[in-house]
Amino acid sequence: MRRARAAEVAVVNLAACDRCGLCLPLCPPEAIHLEFNDLVVDRGVCTGCRKCVAPCPVGALAMVDA
Amino acid sequence: MPDVDVLIVGAGPAGCVAAAWAKRAAPELDVVLFERDRAVGTPVRCAEGVGDAGLREFANPDGAPWVARKIARVIFIAPNDCEVRVAERDVGWILDRTRFDAFLAAEAGALGAAVLVGTEAAGMTPGTDGRWDVRVRSARGETTYRAKVVIGADGVEAMVGRWAGLETRVPARDMESCAQYVVQGIDFDPDAIYLQFGHDIAPGGYAWVFPKGVGIANVGLGLVALKSDGRNAREYLDAWLARRYPRGACTGYTVGGVIVHTTVTQTYTGGVLVAGDAAHMINPLSGGGIVNAMKAGRLAGCTAAAAIRAGDTSARRLAAYHHAWMELLGLDHLKYYRIKRALEDLDDGFFNALARTVNAIPEERRTLGRIFTHALVKHPQLIPVAARFFV
Repeated sequence: MRRARAAEVAVVNLAACDRCGLCLPLCPPEAIHLEFNDLVVDRGVCTGCRKCVAPCPVGALAMVDA
Repeated sequence: MPDVDVLIVGAGPAGCVAAAWAKRAAPELDVVLFERDRAVGTPVRCAEGVGDAGLREFANPDGAPWVARKIARVIFIAPNDCEVRVAERDVGWILDRTRFDAFLAAEAGALGAAVLVGTEAAGMTPGTDGRWDVRVRSARGETTYRAKVVIGADGVEAMVGRWAGLETRVPARDMESCAQYVVQGIDFDPDAIYLQFGHDIAPGGYAWVFPKGVGIANVGLGLVALKSDGRNAREYLDAWLARRYPRGACTGYTVGGVIVHTTVTQTYTGGVLVAGDAAHMINPLSGGGIVNAMKAGRLAGCTAAAAIRAGDTSARRLAAYHHAWMELLGLDHLKYYRIKRALEDLDDGFFNALARTVNAIPEERRTLGRIFTHALVKHPQLIPVAARFFV
């Protein structure tokens, strides 16, 4: 299924991220996963919904222009 | 390609107990347990509190090296700092999770399960004969394992469930964002756990002090981000700590998510079971999940072993796990979830008034049951909440 490209996408600040995994089940399109010690946001899958941003306990996620 | 019977992802309480019980139920099976972190039990993402009765189903805490502290009472703190002490017999324990998880993994190992640390499941696809091909990565490279049953005990990430096509996503209002420090050199009752409620302290959750010894405690909080004023969990915790324990020394911190929802609608599919946090098996009222995870792990290990022995690991067969879990605790969690939702509507004034009323009950008679009954008499506005409890 094709969809319109998101105007904004989530990016992770790996210096702040604690790799806790909290954001994974919050992501509606399942764009986030962990690979060993890195959180990965798939920019092609992120819809820019921001649901991961506020719940991050350390504020490691932010939106940027896609 | 290594061929195994039961492949378990995640060596927390759910995964370790699942591995142990799969071997107990069917010692001839090949059981392998993978842990991404290089040491089981690290990093600790937990307040480490556990109830006495539930723990004793799995391990004897008396004198155990994995116990940090015995807890004899609970002190609730109203938003206005009014304390309510509740004495209960055999309340519970504060664990040393690093040692406790290692103890559980060692038990699985002694029963013949293979425990592989520093090893991460990277994906899985259906193989032949209803088996799953699981890609596994470690410093030594990537290997594909073929397994008859995969047990996803991979915590809040729940990747096994995702790969298997189960619904493991959670709405934002049912996710508690938590932050916790280990704080040293503070003054509190080392035989009590403290829980404080308040919209400005931990909106939609609570703050806690869980003693690890005299003068040392896990001090943390969980909140629902949708209710926050824009600050994140760690910023709320910094504010609370500065007010309550301005002279404490923080010697560690951790963060994490606690899913305060109900069990995922389906905890199984052909050749797959999910258990513990990965299946949202946390008590949605307390946020406690350790004993639940162990109970689910025991069910998952036994169900997987029996299914493999019977030569049938289909979804139809594994559904027995889901039904057993719902009967054991899943249906209770539906009730607790309703209470949680009802409590969300109450404001700080309500909790302040309740604390005042309850403190009129003599301390030796102040049990949780009495508090509840008393609260209904003195605060008729609680009755709808109580009614929803029993619906």
